[in-house]
Amino acid sequence: MIRRISTAIALVALASACATVSQKDHSKLHAAQPRSILIVPVVNKSVNVDAPDYFLSTVPIPVAERGYYVFPVNLVKRVLEDDGLADAGLVHDADPTRLAAMFGADSVLYVSIERWEAKYVLVTTSVTVEFSYVLKDGRTGDVLWVDHERFTYSSGDGGGGLLGAMVSAAIEKASPSYMPLARQANARALSYPGPGFPAGPYRPEYRQDWAPPAGR
Amino acid sequence: MRTRTLRNAIAAGALVLAAGCVRQTTYHWSRYDDSLYRHYKKPQDREAFVEALRTVILEVEQKGLRMPPGLYAEYGYALYEEGRLPEAISYFKLEREQWPESRVLMDKMIRNSELRASKLATPPALAPAAAHGPAGALEKTR
Repeated sequence: MIRRISTAIALVALASACATVSQKDHSKLHAAQPRSILIVPVVNKSVNVDAPDYFLSTVPIPVAERGYYVFPVNLVKRVLEDDGLADAGLVHDADPTRLAAMFGADSVLYVSIERWEAKYVLVTTSVTVEFSYVLKDGRTGDVLWVDHERFTYSSGDGGGGLLGAMVSAAIEKASPSYMPLARQANARALSYPGPGFPAGPYRPEYRQDWAPPAGR
Repeated sequence: MRTRTLRNAIAAGALVLAAGCVRQTTYHWSRYDDSLYRHYKKPQDREAFVEALRTVILEVEQKGLRMPPGLYAEYGYALYEEGRLPEAISYFKLEREQWPESRVLMDKMIRNSELRASKLATPPALAPAAAHGPAGALEKTR
């Protein structure tokens, strides 16, 4: 019985995750019509020094799957480093039109880690990730799109009893599972209809999936 | 029996729902993201990184799948860092051919590779320094 209830809850959670659609004004994005997106290195506001590089590895796939040309993130990162821009903060503060010109990009995607942390209370591990995303026009530097996502996962309330919970807490203390959460955050940020942006030129629904402007 | 049917129905429903969220990808990414993650986790394990990228490209080409944007270039750059410059250039060219959006960057990368190759080829006294230098994509001093 308990299992059936939990299955039902999981189903509802899944369904609602798909169904939530937030209204966003995409008019600037429609006007700019970028074909390519330059994903620059991630700014880190958490205390975890490895987080930005790890997180960077999760960003290109969901963005490219939206139908845009995505510049090779590792190549871009190294070229910036060689150009004296090893610090992601410097890259984010640089003039977006200059960055875009350097790579021949139509737009620049800036991602920042707001939170990337694990908390341990008794036998429960709770992992939280929080990101902000900003897409800027490569020609004008205007902000085309923004988003913000936060995901939390708590262990210890699942099955296996007290012992199971202790084991999973011990395992996760060594290596908390940030990456699945980061992927979930990206997937949600880029989902469309939803918070994400409309299809790019490499998707069949390009220019046909524009939602009517809100309030009309 | 009845509960089993019900359970199966629920499982099937969950699958359908999940599939609605997690779409099939357009491109064949294979372990591209994982190879980046491992590369950042263990940068000294360069050989594994180069090999992982090569494997993804081989998979795409052999199975006739869709090549993800940036992949030829990413592999080209890994070869560039290894000093395998003629191969690097050929992959930068493949990227440029397939994705016109990459032209500005790929032209730059091809020029840099050619420059580095000619530096390596000419004065033997200078060659070791160039070989051990930083990735030096734009060949600028800091």
